[in-house]
Amino acid sequence: MIYNEAYVKRRKIQSYIALLLSTVAAFIGLFWLGFILFDVLRHGISGLNIELFTEDPAPPGVPGGGLRNAFIGQLEIVFYATIMGIPLGILAGTFIAEYARGSKFAKTVSTLSDIMVSVPSIVVGTFIYAILVKPIGHINWGGLLAVAFLSAIIAIIFGGILNIIVNKFFSIKTASAGKFIGLVIALISTIVGVLAFIILTNKLVDKIQGFNGWAGAASLAFIMIPVVLRTTEDMLSLVPWSLREAAFALGATYFKVIKDIVYKAAATGILTGIILSISRVAGETAPLLFTSFNNAYFTTNMNEPISSLTVTIFVYAMGPYDDWHSKAWAASFIITFFILIVTIVARAIIHLRYKG
Amino acid sequence: MKRLRRYPFADIIFGTVAFLASFLVLSLVFSTILVLYNESSLAIHKFGIINFILTNDWDPVREIFGAAAPLYGTIITTVLSLIFALPVAIGIAIFLSEVSPYLLKSPIGIAIEMLAAIPSIIYGMWGLFTLAPLMADYIEPAIQKTLGHIPIIGKLFEGEPQGVDLFTASVVLSIMIIPFIASIARDSLNLTPNIMKESAYALGATKWEVVKDIMIPYAKLGIYGGVVLALGRALGETMAVAFVLGNNHQITTSLFDSAATITVTLANEFTEADTDIYLSSLFYLAFLLFILSFVILAIAKFFLLKAEKNYSR
Repeated sequence: MIYNEAYVKRRKIQSYIALLLSTVAAFIGLFWLGFILFDVLRHGISGLNIELFTEDPAPPGVPGGGLRNAFIGQLEIVFYATIMGIPLGILAGTFIAEYARGSKFAKTVSTLSDIMVSVPSIVVGTFIYAILVKPIGHINWGGLLAVAFLSAIIAIIFGGILNIIVNKFFSIKTASAGKFIGLVIALISTIVGVLAFIILTNKLVDKIQGFNGWAGAASLAFIMIPVVLRTTEDMLSLVPWSLREAAFALGATYFKVIKDIVYKAAATGILTGIILSISRVAGETAPLLFTSFNNAYFTTNMNEPISSLTVTIFVYAMGPYDDWHSKAWAASFIITFFILIVTIVARAIIHLRYKG
Repeated sequence: MKRLRRYPFADIIFGTVAFLASFLVLSLVFSTILVLYNESSLAIHKFGIINFILTNDWDPVREIFGAAAPLYGTIITTVLSLIFALPVAIGIAIFLSEVSPYLLKSPIGIAIEMLAAIPSIIYGMWGLFTLAPLMADYIEPAIQKTLGHIPIIGKLFEGEPQGVDLFTASVVLSIMIIPFIASIARDSLNLTPNIMKESAYALGATKWEVVKDIMIPYAKLGIYGGVVLALGRALGETMAVAFVLGNNHQITTSLFDSAATITVTLANEFTEADTDIYLSSLFYLAFLLFILSFVILAIAKFFLLKAEKNYSR
């Protein structure tokens, strides 16, 4: 074997240089993160004051005022997006992880939603614009959808509370009585849900007047669904099959197994997916540009154009006034650190639950 | 009777609802394609496909629209950002999997992934107010002084440095896609079997040789998948680019000129489109972008699935 000292030395030096370069690369990455966070912090802190949260914007060019409308609008849009996106995502994830496990349909949906996670959000905006904003004067499908989900959730919560109360205060002796009471509870909560739907529709949904908040919420929900679907599917797949078999052996139906065993075992994982998807859409701007648009005035009416924090940042940062710029920085500061903290918390939960 | 009781009422309802939900997800994808096609059909019939892609005019007044300039901008920013991001991201992946001390691995890994969590509008603002002035005052003149005099490459760096241009946009984009490539590449590198690394070390290989000749070939497919995924991300990025690119429908040879991408055109002009054909052309752009990114992401998915199969063997 040839042993040449100079050759070995050259290879060693090569190795050092290459590994040094990779270390430099890591520091470049950290440098950008530090640079951006420091900059947002530096500019954002000076713009923070109590008026930012309590006052509406002043007319253009006049200093003062706040961004109350944007904060409220953002919360509203994200809230309704959550109500539409989360149940759909969880249900769809449950179906492809449980009922359709391993089938072609499940694989197709799972692959497609993996792709959907990365589809440009602005394309989602144009799609929602075409179906919910452009047909002016039509029925407000986005609003109806949101209200439907809202009333379903109200019904479920109502039914759950009723169930707890009945079980706590009435001792049910026979199985058939339990079944009967369960049926009555289901009936009552269905009625509550339908009533809530009728009342809320009258209260919340008008015909579309062009740009509207429901469309913004729907476009964010569109982005949330594949994220929630994928995490739900992954988390449900982690639940060992023997756990389900044990429940089956006791005579439980599949619905009961999913509700009482699988969801309980995967709860933290699904919760983390929900948190991550909320933090994902909280910073989205592009789909809101032409769905919920922007509104310089305070409104909580989702049938009108409604202001959101991110679109406000876009408009203010592009605008000519220094005062606007400092407000945009303050808003960026709040949004960035909210998202970072939420992301870190979600990661910590996953870490503690699944790796620790 | 026994068989019937296997599927009680609640189970049927829940199963049906869950099926409908997953079917809705499936139909969302197809309805996106259908709706975008339907909305853009006016422009498709008027301008055709090849003609639309190759025409450079973007004139709302004369109602002539062509996608050449935005397509050009999209491709240039995407490719440039990949060129900037790739070495850094691979370096980070190598650092995280081989060089870093054990205690620093997860903090640095999380910090890099935090880069992906920052909303794109923050990148945009930061790019416009912090990076663009730095670029215009220091970096771009320096590049012009050094590289600008070389005959052919010099063409790329002509013109007055404004900071709001293709170059800055690519840098911002590259920062945004670093975490995607880095985390996927790191995961792929980490999957190299220890026995292969150990046998290379036993033959007297240096650490870099192990990385270069054992780990990178082994993780090749995963890295490809990460790169293509990042490509898809860079293609569809809107807000960060909208701030630092200007909105200028022209094809320039210089990187120090403002330009337009598909996403920036959509973001800036969608609410201003007043005629049917204008709006339809914008939908056409969105349709093209959707198809393009869908195909690219499907390729990325294909690579990652294939890599997964290789590892599990």
